[in-house]
Amino acid sequence: MTTTQTNNAPLMEVENLSVTFFTPAGAVRAVRDVSLQVQRNEVLGIVGESGCGKSTVGYAMMGYLPGTTRLGGSIRFEGQDITNISATELRKLRGNTIGMVYQDPTTSLNPVMRVGPQVEEVLRQHTRLSREQARNRTAELFESVGLAGPRRIGRRYPHELSGGQQQRGLIAMALACDPHLLIMDEPTTGLDVTTEATILDLILDLKDRVNAGIILITHNLGVVARGADRVAVMYAGHVVEQGPVRTIFKNPRHPYTAGLISCVPQPVTHEGEDHVLRNIPGSVYSAQEETKDACLFASRCPMATAQCTASAPPVVDAGDGHLSKCFYWEQVNSDVWSAAETTQSQAKDPNAAPILTVKGLHHFYGTPRRRFVFFGPIVGRPVRAVVNVDLAVKPGQTLGVVGESGSGKTTLARNVVGLIHRTSGDIKLQGEDLGPGVEDRAKGQRSAIRMVFQNPTSSLNPKLPVSHALMRPLKKFQGLKGPEARERAAALLQAVGLEPGHLDRLPGELSGGQQQRVALAATFAGKADLIVADEAVSALDVSVQAQVLNLLKQHQQEAGTSYIFISHDLGVVRYVSDDILVMYAGHVAESGPRNSVLRPPSHPYTEALLSAAPAPDPDAVPTRIRLPGTVPTLRQAFTGCFFAGRCPRKVGDICDTTPPPAQQGPDAPSHVIYCHIPAEQLKELQLQRSNGKQDEVSISA
Amino acid sequence: MSDILITKSSPPQSALLTVWGALLALGRGFGRQLWMATRTPAGRIGLPLVALHAIIAVFGPLLAPYLPTEFHLRDQLSSPSWQYWLGTDEYGRDIFSRLLSGARSIITVAALGASLGIALGTFVGMSSGYKGGRTDEVVMRIMDGLMSFPALLLALLVLTTLGSNPQNIVLTIGVVFTPRVARVMRSATLSVKTLEFVQNARLRGEPAAYIIFKEILPNTIPVLTVEASVRLSFAILLASSLGFLGLGVQPPSSDWGLMISESRRFMTTAPWIALAPAAAVATLVIGVNLLAEGIRQAQHLPLIEEDISS
Repeated sequence: MTTTQTNNAPLMEVENLSVTFFTPAGAVRAVRDVSLQVQRNEVLGIVGESGCGKSTVGYAMMGYLPGTTRLGGSIRFEGQDITNISATELRKLRGNTIGMVYQDPTTSLNPVMRVGPQVEEVLRQHTRLSREQARNRTAELFESVGLAGPRRIGRRYPHELSGGQQQRGLIAMALACDPHLLIMDEPTTGLDVTTEATILDLILDLKDRVNAGIILITHNLGVVARGADRVAVMYAGHVVEQGPVRTIFKNPRHPYTAGLISCVPQPVTHEGEDHVLRNIPGSVYSAQEETKDACLFASRCPMATAQCTASAPPVVDAGDGHLSKCFYWEQVNSDVWSAAETTQSQAKDPNAAPILTVKGLHHFYGTPRRRFVFFGPIVGRPVRAVVNVDLAVKPGQTLGVVGESGSGKTTLARNVVGLIHRTSGDIKLQGEDLGPGVEDRAKGQRSAIRMVFQNPTSSLNPKLPVSHALMRPLKKFQGLKGPEARERAAALLQAVGLEPGHLDRLPGELSGGQQQRVALAATFAGKADLIVADEAVSALDVSVQAQVLNLLKQHQQEAGTSYIFISHDLGVVRYVSDDILVMYAGHVAESGPRNSVLRPPSHPYTEALLSAAPAPDPDAVPTRIRLPGTVPTLRQAFTGCFFAGRCPRKVGDICDTTPPPAQQGPDAPSHVIYCHIPAEQLKELQLQRSNGKQDEVSISA
Repeated sequence: MSDILITKSSPPQSALLTVWGALLALGRGFGRQLWMATRTPAGRIGLPLVALHAIIAVFGPLLAPYLPTEFHLRDQLSSPSWQYWLGTDEYGRDIFSRLLSGARSIITVAALGASLGIALGTFVGMSSGYKGGRTDEVVMRIMDGLMSFPALLLALLVLTTLGSNPQNIVLTIGVVFTPRVARVMRSATLSVKTLEFVQNARLRGEPAAYIIFKEILPNTIPVLTVEASVRLSFAILLASSLGFLGLGVQPPSSDWGLMISESRRFMTTAPWIALAPAAAVATLVIGVNLLAEGIRQAQHLPLIEEDISS
């Protein structure tokens, strides 16, 4: 393991780095003052909200900055200052001794070139390998990043690979010339949790195998906790705290870090109380603002005093290489962001009559196609996106829906709200049938079901002011017009923590978090009985995510609205839900009350999802269930169990030949698991796995 | 739930208001785009050229030293001089005066024709694109059919059957341009249609017309502006071609296309007769094209108002 030895010269040393971009819209101070070091065989995690300058630091280390940039400070790589070396020398560094992996694998690979030759190209550029040798080396590289059948993979085009495979290919490319430093910019952000877990395993494995320093840039604290040895927390272009990963997570010495950590819903199944998520108010200090002699975090900080706005805090060493840029570092603890509040989870009636019921819902995309249009064998079958889904949402409660991408979650949501027409099945709202499309539904039914979308930027019309988004539903659903509607809209804005003055702004002038709050206010405007939130917080930063989640919970308590909350993030779903529905390949894998679903016995798929989610806790023992591959696209009905192809607990032929029965869980009658393994046996197997690790699950069970 | 009875706005009135609001927004958007275009070199040349022609179109007849139809029989085919700045034609008419008074007809006809084409094309393209499915397929194939006729041929066909007068020329240009505009606006609609705010509007139960004109149209202004300026320059060319072929304004009117056509016989002896109207058409078309290019480039500039000074 890495012990920081003082006599060891650091591999990469950044000192007082500042990066300013000059754009027609004015100067953008992406990085203001950053000093950090990376040793060989060490993983440095850089975290922070978006807009804090994380990626720019990464690009500066590669010398990848446009000509209109002013760079200050020094970047020394193996003793050489790369801020003022020639373009030729820089080119030798890139791809050769410094490798980089970018966020989006689909755009980082050339779509018209096979994957193998793309890696060979890098090798032939930087080494003297012959064509044949390069091909062999590429196969070795692919094998080393866990791509099965490396030669076959090399002959594929990028679009023929899954997201995880593409990311592995990119990592192989970055490793091609045995780099001394590997910079990974959000390497797992676009991937599913299950894939993310396997890529993280690979990164950890690389750390031990290659003799290189790794910089892991991410906004995901769980990823950093799993992957990094040391962490640098960035805010508004500054490193505000830096230190060993355990110290940072257990004993943060900067209020920002403490805030970030308390924003994350705990993804593991800690039993008992529901604590209210704390959140950091406001948004990141804009990069367009001048650097001033003050703490830039002061405006959002609960501990700020007059001193904080009068002068910039110095960097203090809290011992053992733990640096903090705060005057009051000694007073920081996890309670600076309000006391650990726990809400009495309101007594909700688990047997209440459901407000929405879905029975036997099917949704197929496309129609069967025959070889000769009107006759001949069937060559194209419809995609079975949702198959036989039953669910019920109780009044004032939340149904969480989880699953990887491609599980049919969004299709389910769109069928419920009526954006697409279901193939078959019944949807009933308060006992009355709902038509397949919104256009077929009565006006009262339309206003009763509302939807929040994933992307706040595109869910508000960029050309129309905020008032339009709020007043239109008021007019449509409540017949309010003119000043009356405006007054009501202003009140709605205030309810979500915005000012009435925001009414006349265009959505583009608001931050992502503010936009999502406007979208929420617009959904609340209709006095809906049921709100369908499709990945409503996935595109947001953790601090904003917490704000939005709390807002949703608060609204539920006040108005008694029900939610269908769709997310790929089990931690978030656990935080908001009363009931959980786990979907896989369009089928329901498991459903029931939250605690029954998250506690053994669970469906093997739920178990895999639970163990894949990285916890923001460096001491969390990573449970080793990994799902290879991705959710299949289904054009034919399964003969056996829908999950058989990837199931880590597959018992034998029965899984391939017989559809799994619906079993009742032991704790609650509404808990249903679709699996061949008897519930008792599942429970035993799962407890066995988690044995050895101190987990409340096993104690409470 | 209880307020189903409250909304009482009569549909036709609200539809009219919607269209009026959309037009207003469109006008504001267009003016803003023009202003932005002056920040690019192409726009800085194009806008004055177009403005000059616009001024001539409005005030030209007042500025002309002679009547455009006035014969100076002693000064036939005289070369440019202080008396006749651009010379005279076979009947001794002052070319400069004819040029100034001819601007109005061509610019009016071209602008009206282009506007008609854009209005029709926008309506057809956006409706078809928003509706999608089989309707879209049928409508677009009809548009493709119309587009397969060469523009001039179609124009000749319409004008010879309906007879040549300014209204019919406007109509012709409109019909010729409709499928081309429709195609562009359809694709713009398709890309906006998938965005979530459109689905949001559907969930609110908004009628299709409201979604198309109030929600989608403002988001296609960048495309629409460029398309409009390109169409305008083609309309000028088409209108002057029709004039040249004798299907435009009839003699003795001073139409630029007609002037070029009449000058053919004297090309070797008095080239200035052809040169002046040709140059006028050319500068107008170039000006409009440069302006279009400027607008297109300006769309990639950051959207900032005054604070460039920092």
